[in-house]
Amino acid sequence: MQNVDAINSGIPAIPKDNYLTNGFSLKSWLLTKDHKRIAIMYLITISMFFMAGGLYASAIRLELLTPETDLLTSATYNKVFTQHGILMIFFFLIPSIPAVLGNFLLPIMIGAKDLALPRINLLSLYIYWIGGALTVFALLQGGVDTGWTFYTPYSTTFSNSYVMAVGLGIFINGFSSILTGLNFIVTVHTMRAPGMTWFRLPLFVWAQYATSLVMILGTPVIAITVLLLAIERTVGVGIFDPAIGGDPILFQHLFWFYSHPAVYIMILPGMGVISELISNFSRKKIFGYEFIAFSSIAIAVFGFLVWGHHMFVSGQSIYAGMVFSFLTMVVAVPSAIKMFNWTATLYKGSISYDTPMLYAIGFMGLFLIGGLTGLFLGAIGLTVHLTDTYFVVAHFHYVMVGGQVIAYLGGIHYWWPKMTGRMYSEFWGKISAMLVFIGFNLTFFPQFIVGYQGMPRRYASYPAEFQVLNIFSTAGASVLGVGLVMPVIYLGASLINGKPAGDNPWMLPGLEWRTSSPPPTENFEKTPVVTWEAYEFGEESGLDLDGARRRDQVSTVV
Amino acid sequence: MSDKHMETGEGHIGYPGYIGVFTILVVGTIFTYFSSFWDLDSIFPGANTLLALAIAFTKMTFVMLFFMHVYWSPRLIWLSAVASFFWLAIMFAYTMQDYFTRGLGVFSV
Amino acid sequence: MATHSDTHHEEFHYHAPGLQHQFEDMKQQEESVSIGMWAFLVQEIMFFGGLFTAYLVFRSRFPLAFAEASNHLNAFWGGLNTLVLIVSSLTMALAVFYAQKGNRNMQVIMIVLTMIFGTAFLGVKAIEYTDKYNTGLIPVTGWNKKVKESDVQHAGEPAKGSEGAFVLPLIETKAEASAAADDHEKPYINPNGEFQWNSGRHVFDYAIEKEKSGKAYLTAAERVGYFSNGEFDPNKYRDKIRIFYFIYFVMTGLHALHMVVGLGLMSWLLWAAFRGSFSGEYFAPVEMSGLYWHFVDIVWIFLFPLLYLLGRHFLAGGAH
Repeated sequence: MQNVDAINSGIPAIPKDNYLTNGFSLKSWLLTKDHKRIAIMYLITISMFFMAGGLYASAIRLELLTPETDLLTSATYNKVFTQHGILMIFFFLIPSIPAVLGNFLLPIMIGAKDLALPRINLLSLYIYWIGGALTVFALLQGGVDTGWTFYTPYSTTFSNSYVMAVGLGIFINGFSSILTGLNFIVTVHTMRAPGMTWFRLPLFVWAQYATSLVMILGTPVIAITVLLLAIERTVGVGIFDPAIGGDPILFQHLFWFYSHPAVYIMILPGMGVISELISNFSRKKIFGYEFIAFSSIAIAVFGFLVWGHHMFVSGQSIYAGMVFSFLTMVVAVPSAIKMFNWTATLYKGSISYDTPMLYAIGFMGLFLIGGLTGLFLGAIGLTVHLTDTYFVVAHFHYVMVGGQVIAYLGGIHYWWPKMTGRMYSEFWGKISAMLVFIGFNLTFFPQFIVGYQGMPRRYASYPAEFQVLNIFSTAGASVLGVGLVMPVIYLGASLINGKPAGDNPWMLPGLEWRTSSPPPTENFEKTPVVTWEAYEFGEESGLDLDGARRRDQVSTVV
Repeated sequence: MSDKHMETGEGHIGYPGYIGVFTILVVGTIFTYFSSFWDLDSIFPGANTLLALAIAFTKMTFVMLFFMHVYWSPRLIWLSAVASFFWLAIMFAYTMQDYFTRGLGVFSV
Repeated sequence: MATHSDTHHEEFHYHAPGLQHQFEDMKQQEESVSIGMWAFLVQEIMFFGGLFTAYLVFRSRFPLAFAEASNHLNAFWGGLNTLVLIVSSLTMALAVFYAQKGNRNMQVIMIVLTMIFGTAFLGVKAIEYTDKYNTGLIPVTGWNKKVKESDVQHAGEPAKGSEGAFVLPLIETKAEASAAADDHEKPYINPNGEFQWNSGRHVFDYAIEKEKSGKAYLTAAERVGYFSNGEFDPNKYRDKIRIFYFIYFVMTGLHALHMVVGLGLMSWLLWAAFRGSFSGEYFAPVEMSGLYWHFVDIVWIFLFPLLYLLGRHFLAGGAH
């Protein structure tokens, strides 16, 4: 371990040779095969998509400030929420943690020099760019108004918006996610360092692996579905059009066969990040490692068996509804296993409330609410009342934003010193984490109430009795917006005046903390040999972690 | 992976083996062509399709095992081959359980 | 496919020891490429799986219309194409076999043979598509051959299709025979190039006849889907047949697209093999292309019975 001495001596410095200094030309970035540089390019692109999606969200919340249709017309409102959904789901949530954090960290965490197929990794970035560019182009031209689900026959026959272009963008983008998943699977199987057995892998890697399985098995189905939709829309004939005996519900089956597992693409990596954060910031070996690892795989498998719960009221048979309802309850079990294990890990841990840990604790609360309200929606009777109300909107935002976005932010803060070599301002980090948590709850908790009272989603106007709670929601969205913009500023500032973080600012045993910050292009000077278990705090880890308090080493910029 | 390295250099059945597999495939094709004329549906509806699919599965198995060298491949390759069909079966089964319980594709008088 | 060519590309700049920088040794590299290729094939299977699901749903609903439509495909051409593809699979497997042996000449010959059979497959496919074009069976308005009524009057022989059409070599079933007869009786008139179904309702009639024995031959969906006001409605029947042809064209079209990509890979392989790039130690590109080629073959092994051989026993009267 070349850096053990440096870590234990506690002198932070940024090494001269790292992946960021290995070439400064545009070409050295655009044609790089380095997974870390690709991850950084993903980070920048994804952040831009997140901001664009966020702007659409603010338009939605501003419109809903008043019961009347005033700021936007109904038609524009349809486009705004559709584009919010498309940008956030296909271009932010799905690639967020896998493509940024997974790309950057997966090879380092298993002690590899790079992903197994670096050129394909670069190819997936370009595919993502092409798909994204096409979608943005279509959105600028006028956008789509079908809802992100593209339900037929509306999307094939009746909508006059740019369904084709956006559909093509999503089709292309799908291959980016397939290639990323393929690359991760190969890498985990063949690139592990000597001694890095399957049960020594960090749980983040297990989660990425499970996500990759879903990506490979699910994404092609949406590709073919969108292709069929495009053919039907272009040539005016097909299999979804009920006018000629086609079946619109078949579209929903095929669509949700991917898009429900895609929900797990959007939460599993987040769970992986949280497993890292909870264990490391409690400075305690994670409780029930195997259970968390296998629950990731179980979620990936069972996630494929529940898609029908999106179709309870759309003409699916009652019998199928019962089967899907039952399986929906079953898939809650592995998620619950994770929650219990995280809680048990916290017990008697020496917890430090740094910014990433604040996000992790926020995740646990929000995901708990999001997950449990999911059971309401999975119950075949209750869901008839709740379908297409704001209850659903609140539920999936609790899981998607409260889950994946919070985990993503936590992960970005946690690994920021590794990615850039510099510490951000802990003070502003905590403020921002608080604002996100408060703003998020203020935005979406009222939506559970209005939804339960019957306010339908996807309308620009609503009965006046719901206005008070909607004002709360919009106010919360403003707080959330501030909380989300702040990291851009203080993380950006840390690049200029952040203190060098040192190789191991949090004093942790993981493999990624045993190389320099930022890591060299080949990640390690020589291939590491792993002799310790995951989350091993103690002598066995080879690092003097017990005595060292990172507070003494890391000064923060306030 | 490490326990059972794919000895791809050894992983083939030789010239006669390939011709043998080929013969099986050709016979299967001809058999499936002519068996489609037999009225097996009088035994139970769908028997013709079942036979045709059984032949297709047999042919596929031979192609995968010998032409694609799965027979000599590590467990992981077996697993991925089986898993993909398992997932396909999930898609078929869970979609069809909806349609059949709606009675649409059920023979009725 | 991107995965595929890229994988080769990586390995193509092979210089002793020919190892990419991220790998420790050759074995690790081979394993990675092989697992990557299989993962790619898994996603290909799911890609076609969506289409098979659509097929399954509609066939289970409208089995008679599907059988009717299928009887109008030429199973002889389909079977011939299956054999052509199987031969190409054999030559591909032998190409890998000779690559392993380091036999450059046989390798090149086998790759050339594979390409020839692959092209033959596409040729037969083109003949079949042309036949559909000539008889108005492409399910898209305006994409079929356009023949005005006046044109037919002037041509003395009201043959189905016209000069470009092939005479189908083997007529096996009554349905095909009577379909061809119907086509000859009724001249092909299609001024707007619409989807047409002129070949009657032989399978349907057969099922109705059989139902007199008291056994159900129509599904619940068919009892609604083919009738208007209690009467058989040819237009509704035609719409279900059109769904079959839509699925047929999407499935075989995507399969043909995969063949074209495969032929592209073969051209590259041929060039590399000709230059002697592969040896007993390094032949992964040949092997990986082989996996892809066999996969495309397997898809066809299923497409053939599912598209060409439906319900032929209903009307098996001819050659057998």
